[in-house]
Amino acid sequence: MSKHLRFIARTIMVQDGNVDAAYKTLNRVLTQDGIIESVKRKRYFEKPCRERQRKSYENCKRIYNTEMARKIAFISQTNRADPWLGC
Amino acid sequence: MFKLNCILASSVSNVCRQLSASLNASGSSLKVAYGFGSVGLQRTLCASAVRLQDTAASIAGSEKSSRDYSHFSPLIDQESSLRWGGKKFEELPIVHVKATYNNTHIQLTESTGQSMVRTSCGTEGFKNIKKSTPIAAQTAGISAAAKAKAKGVTFVRVVVKGLGPGRLPAIKGLTMGGLEVVSITDNTPVPHNGCRPRKARRL
Repeated sequence: MSKHLRFIARTIMVQDGNVDAAYKTLNRVLTQDGIIESVKRKRYFEKPCRERQRKSYENCKRIYNTEMARKIAFISQTNRADPWLGC
Repeated sequence: MFKLNCILASSVSNVCRQLSASLNASGSSLKVAYGFGSVGLQRTLCASAVRLQDTAASIAGSEKSSRDYSHFSPLIDQESSLRWGGKKFEELPIVHVKATYNNTHIQLTESTGQSMVRTSCGTEGFKNIKKSTPIAAQTAGISAAAKAKAKGVTFVRVVVKGLGPGRLPAIKGLTMGGLEVVSITDNTPVPHNGCRPRKARRL
């Protein structure tokens, strides 16, 4: 941190003395930036073979989840084009 | 997000009134409000070095209450009239909280870096496994706050390092002990693949 400007990145101001909300916001921002999970992962060494397995697993999971969410959203949509239009 | 922007745009008068009421600012509070709004939006657009995704930055930047409060810290080169106990943000003392998995250290330093107060779970009388509990961290926070108040410190900014059990309870202990936390920074060291950590545990 000493090489960069301090108190600019990863900083949240506390509003109205609400430290809990500020900490929650900080946690949310850090998880969204992927810092918390990377710190947890780097606690122990992850062998390159395990890293490749994990990456491919996350990729497949992401593809599956997006496809499934697309299908569910398509089926559960309410504003559909009228199938009997014109007859 | 659109609604929040509407609230922001329509409540400038509220902003001026509340800013001047709460911060005892000088007569240039109107200008400061405008400056803060534009600063906040600029900060939203230029992501800082650590922000990997734009979504997080835009979410944090667009969360503006009607008080024109910014989640970001005031930039040093920009003129901000925010004062805590008469001090600017850069002059407030810093509390370093190092939350390891086995212990929690709390050190209060001046803005220059001079150490004022140093406590940890061990100095509070806890031993071995009891040091790695949230209660120990909270007692360390309370005692650190008490010592700091004896030296005349009220407003403080907190820097947390590490993901241990005492990360949040230490800050809670500081507020319970009477210190006012102004901002929370996270300084957890994240190596860009530097030193090799120890091998994986097989339980």
